[in-house]
Amino acid sequence: MRADRRFNLAGLGVFAALLLLWELYSRAGGVESYLPPPSAALKALTEPNVARALFGHLAGTLGRFLGGYLLAAALAVAAGVVLGYSRFAYSVSEVIIELLRPMPSVAIIPVAILCLGIGDAMMIAVTIYAAAWPILLNTIDGVRNLDRTLVDTGRTFGLGRVKILWQVALPAAAPYIATGLRVSLPIALILVTTSEMVAGVNGLGFFILDEERSLRPANMYAGIVVVALLGYALNRLFVAVEARALAWKRGLQAKGEA
Amino acid sequence: MPLLEVDALCKSYDGSAGAATLAIENISFNVERGEFVALVGPSGCGKTTLLMCIAGLAAPSGGRVAVKSQLVDRPPPDLVLVFQEYNRSLFAWRSVLGNVLFGLEAKGRGGKAADERARRLIGLVGLEGFERHYPWQLSGGMQQRVAIARALAYEPEVLLMDEPFGSVDAMTRLELEDALLAIWKELGTTILLVTHDIEEAIYLSDRVHVLARRPSRVVETVAIPLPRPRHQVTTRAEPSFMELRNRIYRRIADAG
Ligand SMILES: Nc1ncnc2c1ncn2[C@@H]1O[C@H](COP(=O)(O)OP(=O)(O)O)[C@@H](O)[C@H]1O
Ligand SMILES: [Mg+2]
Repeated sequence: MRADRRFNLAGLGVFAALLLLWELYSRAGGVESYLPPPSAALKALTEPNVARALFGHLAGTLGRFLGGYLLAAALAVAAGVVLGYSRFAYSVSEVIIELLRPMPSVAIIPVAILCLGIGDAMMIAVTIYAAAWPILLNTIDGVRNLDRTLVDTGRTFGLGRVKILWQVALPAAAPYIATGLRVSLPIALILVTTSEMVAGVNGLGFFILDEERSLRPANMYAGIVVVALLGYALNRLFVAVEARALAWKRGLQAKGEA
Repeated sequence: MPLLEVDALCKSYDGSAGAATLAIENISFNVERGEFVALVGPSGCGKTTLLMCIAGLAAPSGGRVAVKSQLVDRPPPDLVLVFQEYNRSLFAWRSVLGNVLFGLEAKGRGGKAADERARRLIGLVGLEGFERHYPWQLSGGMQQRVAIARALAYEPEVLLMDEPFGSVDAMTRLELEDALLAIWKELGTTILLVTHDIEEAIYLSDRVHVLARRPSRVVETVAIPLPRPRHQVTTRAEPSFMELRNRIYRRIADAG
């Protein structure tokens, strides 16, 4: 936890050295054209027409990601609370959950294309599907592990079921929900990018595959760099928000009580 | 009409192998409005079980509980239980102030007046300066005081307390006993307090119900005629205090 706050000089050095090796090797003509030097990808990034195109694709990918991820969060938390609360609801859905959960989510893409056609609705649908699982399972866990005494505390202060849900069960399950959200974040980005590759007309996934097919590997790498940076930035943002929202929990962990 | 009636209450727990544990055999007593009543009995005799039934958090196996003549079949309004497991009862995501405010919010009270009241109660239990701390930053005894302040902030007509001073050191314990008596006098709350400390039961209360070992029942009710206000040194030094203590002690030993 603390280590990634420090500036990891050695790690950055190794990374830079590898880039340099690649650059030199590539310039010496040691590899085919499919592996242009990193400087070529950087140069592509700075070309106005490529940069402009990439910006548009980035916006498309980000929009789909946000739509799918946020909807997945809302649906999975709601469903997880119900399934965690009610033994009946869980036992009714247990078989479906156990069957679908281990299936690689990308297998749902053809089904989604059949049902929803090609377009944003289909891509957001598969993102919701894939991102929902970790959030759902963690929320169920969190609500299941809810301390009986906490619920009784709410009850003795006269709170009804709905208020106990909002004021006791959800905050108590928040660390679990956050874990689910953290796991889901890269999954959502994977599904957006993949479905853009399979059935997109724009977006970073589409761009990367399209540039590859158009024999412009430098542009392809530029797209990969952008999608990597997007994943990195989203993760950093998530960690920052989580640290703020769950500040109360950090000390608990330090004390080994969490 | 007594404020709280416990009538022929029984409670058994289903055992794992089908053998039921009879925790409470047959308990009856009343608590009048404004009274301070203590229940004293050895560990495992069913004190927590009894309070859970009175608070409407557990269903009795037999008999009945009534608050203000209303049958208790759910947690009654105007009644709050301070749990023995205070550390599991605090909201880890709320600060000390947030936890105490919870009692007021639950009553639909907020704003500046609620904030001031919460801060006053935090001061009364000796936690001034810790308003912004989270429960994990406090010692066990301090956490217990937060739970007490939270319950008092709710201003219940009946306050049930399950060994509320179990984990505070001896000095703090005496201070908290006196703070509780002061608040009881000021608010006119009716208090039913459970403890395994005989002297604490005598010092605080108007009446002490002595419980026998499991399955528990009231083996004796002892009136405490000691004058109020009580004083930690002089009251405890009175000959009648000693007599009451010895009498209750012998009663528990005989019943066990
Ligand atoms: N949820 C439960 N399930 C089964 N047995 C219980 C449960 N809670 C308490 N008991 C049993 O009931 C008896 C009384 O327990 P309790 O009310 O906690 O006593 P006390 O508070 O006086 O220490 C004990 O023998 C205990 O093992
Ligand atoms: Mg107990």
